[in-house]
Amino acid sequence: MNALVQQWSESLRSATQDHGPQWLDELRLRASDQLTAHGLPDRKDEDWKYTPMRVLEKLNPAINNNTGGVADDVAAAAFNDANFPAALLDKPDYEARVYDGVLVGLEGSDRPGVTIVSLTEGLKRYEPLLRKHIEAVDIDGSAQAFNALNTATLNQGLVIHIDQQADAGTILLRWAMSGNASPSIHNFRVFLLLAEGARMQLMEQFESVDHAGSALNVVSHVELGTDAVLDYLCVQNESENTVLMSSTRIDQAQGSRYNYAGFDLGGGLVRHELKTVFAGSDAHAAFLGAFVLDKARHVDNHISIDHASPACSSEQFFRGVLGDSSRGVFNGKALIRPGADESSVRQSNANLLLSHLARIDTKPELEIYADEVEASHGATVGQLDETAIFYLRSRGLSEAEARRLLVGAFCRAVTDKLDNQALAGHVSDMIDHAMPSYHEN
Amino acid sequence: MNEKSVNMLEIKNLHATVGGKAILKGLNLNIEAGQIHAIMGPNGAGKSTLGNVIAGREGYEVTQGEVLFNGKNLLELEPEERACEGIFLAFQYPVEIPGVNNTYFLRAALNAQRKYRGEPELDSMQFLKLVREKLKILHISDDLLRRSVNEGFSGGEKKRNEIFQMAVLEPSLAILDETDSGLDIDALRLVADGVNRLRSEDRAMLVITHYQRLLDHILPDKVHVLADGKIVASGGADLALKLEEQGYTWLEQGGIQSLDVELRA
Repeated sequence: MNALVQQWSESLRSATQDHGPQWLDELRLRASDQLTAHGLPDRKDEDWKYTPMRVLEKLNPAINNNTGGVADDVAAAAFNDANFPAALLDKPDYEARVYDGVLVGLEGSDRPGVTIVSLTEGLKRYEPLLRKHIEAVDIDGSAQAFNALNTATLNQGLVIHIDQQADAGTILLRWAMSGNASPSIHNFRVFLLLAEGARMQLMEQFESVDHAGSALNVVSHVELGTDAVLDYLCVQNESENTVLMSSTRIDQAQGSRYNYAGFDLGGGLVRHELKTVFAGSDAHAAFLGAFVLDKARHVDNHISIDHASPACSSEQFFRGVLGDSSRGVFNGKALIRPGADESSVRQSNANLLLSHLARIDTKPELEIYADEVEASHGATVGQLDETAIFYLRSRGLSEAEARRLLVGAFCRAVTDKLDNQALAGHVSDMIDHAMPSYHEN
Repeated sequence: MNEKSVNMLEIKNLHATVGGKAILKGLNLNIEAGQIHAIMGPNGAGKSTLGNVIAGREGYEVTQGEVLFNGKNLLELEPEERACEGIFLAFQYPVEIPGVNNTYFLRAALNAQRKYRGEPELDSMQFLKLVREKLKILHISDDLLRRSVNEGFSGGEKKRNEIFQMAVLEPSLAILDETDSGLDIDALRLVADGVNRLRSEDRAMLVITHYQRLLDHILPDKVHVLADGKIVASGGADLALKLEEQGYTWLEQGGIQSLDVELRA
């Protein structure tokens, strides 16, 4: 067993377990055993082949059980600091804040049918529903190590529940990571539970308070009832000493729509696992995203779409820009099961390498077992067009400006797909700031 | 006569290679402000190379000679510095740049040039006013402003966009690299009209073309014949007509002797 997991195992054994429901205490123990037995994922795990754990092992974070909580004034000061990045949205209907893996703030309007509470409170109100989701998480084997860790430490989380036909409006979820004291790995759980016909727009923002190292491991459950609609924008702009592991399972009923757009502009080691299952027909899932990386950042987008029902459509559209010695991974998978006729699948990942040390591993996968399927997939890796650079320079723009303009245009293919033009503009500006500096060679 | 005070562009004994291959082999050319010079010549003579060398394109290596622009050594400058000094190259094949809005691009370019010259930058309202005036003069629809740079443009639209950019950037030396290629007669006339509207006393133009037909619409002050990397003959507008009539082979057969032109060794 590797040293980091050994340290975590000891920490889990010595920690006093919360006295939650008995099934949860038992599950925590089982998850802890799984983690101890299998350790972290390595290159032999197909799904982790391109994402080594080196950065995490070097950071060597201790498990933070979050039992001590975070002083409210510390968290408030961090979010309100003038240097802390501005919120994506000025006046959301709701705002939730998580500081170092602890839910520190929940505020907002009082819309009918909308419940936003902590995990502790959520377990009181929706225990059977949450239990169903928690127990469905795969915690077996090294590939699921982060799910196991999250389950073993489960006590912090956010539950958003929207009743039938209710509209939660806009919800802003802000994450702040600090590295105070020694590096920790924080674990957090999110539930987005939308009943039939419910709607919400979620904007999630990951930022660092400082440059110190820390790690965050988030497991999310999304349940979309019949015709429910979730628009989900995620922007991650953390320091290069940060590890973010995020794993989301989406269950989609008939006619539901899940519109995800994820932008990774920072972070040290980042992985987004997004897995959606179409349990009913005529559902739609869109996964859009861009990663614009410099330094030695590593961002991995792992998406899997299970067309288990007919007449559903899915789209994956990702663009990557990699400078310096950064590394990107795109693994998009769509499975069309037998009988899932009239499915439509689109997959596209285009990448720009700005440096000879940068690297992208891209793997769009289609598995089709049904007839009458409309499917397209493609991946490209290229460099900026030198002719275009000269064209811009010949009009007076500097070489750096010309490159910035071309990279921005490359990413705009993603932001142009966002419905909310104001947010798209905001994200474009953030992409501009994240642009890797230009180096010869 | 002091040449330096008269010539905007002075090219002396210019040798240039592309991919290790010698293309320009001792080219001499002087252009005064207010003049339009045409460069004609057969394919492979080095016409486009000349335009690219002046604009500073990578891959075009000057091995000998000098290029002075208003007395400044142009060859030491980056392409964007040359643009800011007042050089404009209308591309033979204008580049499509999806995702970069034409208006945004042009304003960034103009402001980069103004900044270089120590002039205040234009805000979007001032800029919009300027481009609307230019569009009106050139009879171009403002639909162009909303589109991405050259994306999905027809051949004629691309060339007109080059002329439009030139009108906005107001260079002191404009090089038109085979701007007539791929244009039908109506598009050619529109482009030529645009160029003629931009003629002025303090602006020079270098029109690079394979055929004489563009020169029916843009009357040059001087015509030069470029062959095998050198200017082999220079004359007035009638030289172009003669070339069109006789073909470039006529040059090689010594026919040029019969014209009142300046022959270069």
